[in-house]
Amino acid sequence: MHARTAPAEARPKIAVRAVTKRYGAAVLNGLDLEVAENEFVTLVGRSGCGKTTLLNIVAGLVEATSGDVLVDGAAVTGPGRGKGVVFQAQALFPWLTAIRNIEFGARSRGLDAAACRAEAEQLLALVGLAGYGDRYPAQLSGGMQQRVAIARALAQDPQILLMDEPFGALDEITRIEMQDELLRVWSTRRKTVLFVTHSITEALVLSDRIVVMGGGGIVAEYPLDAPRPRSRADARLAALHERIWEHLR
Amino acid sequence: MRWVDRPWFQGTACLVVLLALWEGASALGWLKPFQFPPPSRIAAASWEMVVAGFPTGTRIGQHALVTLQRIFTGFALATVAAIPLGLLIGRVPALDQLTLPIVTFARSVATLSLLPLALLWFGLGETSKVMLIAYACFWVMLTNAIAAAKYVDPVLVRAARTMDVRGPALFFEVILPAATPRLLAGARVAIGIGFMVIVGAEMIATVAGLGALIMEARTFYRTDVSIVGMIALGVLGFAFTAGLAWLEGRLLPWHRGLAEVRR
Amino acid sequence: MSGARLREIALGVAGTIAFLAAWELAARLGPGSALFPPPSGAVAEALARLPLATVADHVAVSLGRITAGFAAGAALGVAIAVAAGWYRTFGNFVRPVVELLRPIPPLAWIPMAIVWFGLGEASKVFVIFLGAFFPVLTNAYRGITGVDPTLVRAAQTMDVTGVALLWRVMLPAALPDIAVGLRVGWGLSFGVLVAAELIAADRGMGFMIMNARQTAEVGVIIFGILLIGLATLATDWVLGLAIRRSVGRWHPV
Repeated sequence: MHARTAPAEARPKIAVRAVTKRYGAAVLNGLDLEVAENEFVTLVGRSGCGKTTLLNIVAGLVEATSGDVLVDGAAVTGPGRGKGVVFQAQALFPWLTAIRNIEFGARSRGLDAAACRAEAEQLLALVGLAGYGDRYPAQLSGGMQQRVAIARALAQDPQILLMDEPFGALDEITRIEMQDELLRVWSTRRKTVLFVTHSITEALVLSDRIVVMGGGGIVAEYPLDAPRPRSRADARLAALHERIWEHLR
Repeated sequence: MRWVDRPWFQGTACLVVLLALWEGASALGWLKPFQFPPPSRIAAASWEMVVAGFPTGTRIGQHALVTLQRIFTGFALATVAAIPLGLLIGRVPALDQLTLPIVTFARSVATLSLLPLALLWFGLGETSKVMLIAYACFWVMLTNAIAAAKYVDPVLVRAARTMDVRGPALFFEVILPAATPRLLAGARVAIGIGFMVIVGAEMIATVAGLGALIMEARTFYRTDVSIVGMIALGVLGFAFTAGLAWLEGRLLPWHRGLAEVRR
Repeated sequence: MSGARLREIALGVAGTIAFLAAWELAARLGPGSALFPPPSGAVAEALARLPLATVADHVAVSLGRITAGFAAGAALGVAIAVAAGWYRTFGNFVRPVVELLRPIPPLAWIPMAIVWFGLGEASKVFVIFLGAFFPVLTNAYRGITGVDPTLVRAAQTMDVTGVALLWRVMLPAALPDIAVGLRVGWGLSFGVLVAAELIAADRGMGFMIMNARQTAEVGVIIFGILLIGLATLATDWVLGLAIRRSVGRWHPV
């Protein structure tokens, strides 16, 4: 194990050390990854490359077969406790209105009712849904539901934000809008983000660093320092797109 | 999983323990044999019902047969009338709207409340009971047939029309097969209701049949025989649910997961 | 109100009137009106023979029984279903016992109920309890065990575990199924109530009908049948409305 006493600022927010996960065969094999504070890291790869598994292990929803995961220096032993998650779909509680769903997230912080309501309203406005608070999830479009899901995760005031293909169930146009929305929200409430997607374009638009996965491990990493918002038609991004695509073929 | 944790073990163990406690309590005199005949007594009575019968001569098989005959005759009569009528109503919206209030009300009539009337009209014989079952089954099958015809996927109908399939051919080759899963689900419900109704009817107005058996045995202080009757009903009911499920599997290999039809 | 909706209602009313008219005609032209009275005759005879207060009393007694039996059956059904869904071991113990008892029609319990509870209210309430218990239990169990795992995981990521998870997430998620169970259970309870009152009671709507049979007061019998039918429809409608207003706001009913 690692007995380093590095100063807190240099310590990575998320530290994955030699994580292996077996479901019979090894899905992840001795994988190492570090995510710095407020960094936006995206995991891309083919279906079955283990990106969702890795995310779930960091979230504490799945236990690694061996290896450690540390968030803010503390070992991950289970879900919750500052690890906010945004799932792909159907994660909003259907019996609660949008605002109450967000309040649910705020409650986990131990705030009183009034403080929860205030926080929820603020976040609702932040994701651009002011006035839609009293709608039930069934009455919201897919894009709106995901905005509420993001607001709910933020309501926990999480240490890290884990997003598992959050826009995967949306149509192309809504997807592009949501990517811009996410960047806007993230610029206001900056968090450390670990994002999973199978869309290379999405990764290029959103991330500080793209981690390409395959064969149970990391195949390549591409830091991006282009300022956001990024044009999807940018030539440099297109070139990077090609290189990443080569890895995945 | 440790085998002690396996569901079947825990379930069986629980049953065995309960039966043992029951038997024990009865032997110790904590439970009166008239009120709570112990499992040993019930087992003995089952054997008695198989060979000797109660009242002497009418074996359990005969009681069961009588009950089943009533259910199935009533069900058959109802189905023969309800399916064609229901499919027709389902395809003609005006007819559906005309008949809706009547059908809804008739379905809400508690079938057994008709028993006194049936007894007055048809006497104390088989007819009154069969009519009662037929009544209950009719409205269930009718409602299901109407829904089955009404909710045939319009895409299927349109596809058939583009292939020049119309009228009677459309009915027999598209509507009917599409309606079959729902009709079978309705049959399951109808027979279930038939079971319920006949038990009640037999308690009032006969000496043969499982319902009558359960009632009669009590008046002769043979509660062990009553319980045998109840068990027989349970077994029959279970056999039918399983049998119909099997039938659905054979007749409709193309249709998975029959949804429960709601009222 | 749209034209189509008006047409629907008009046709419905027309159909009902046509039916009543046909009944009226058939009765007048047909066999002795003693055994087959027209609707007008039936109601008239009934109101003549029975004071309104008596009818009201019968109805009240019936409704009282079914409410008591149903409430007990539904409450216990939900409680056991939730416990069985949440504690696997308890569920493993309880399920075989339930599955063995479930196929036995509630009415088949009447003679034993009389043995155990006598001829009073308790035996009837017990059988009605059984009528409600099994459907509610079955549906509630399906609801609790069928909760979308994503919802559970989402709650866990927000530090909701244990009993809080059961109370704040799993129970609400199971509500649509529980609602279906309640509706089915109520309908069954009603049928059981009527039967129980026919077989072994001295008050209530079922008794009212059975009693009239002794004196062949067909009018009263028909009136009683219609009254029970109306009561069933009315109570089911109220229940449906309550469900639509609560669960129906967030789940298709």
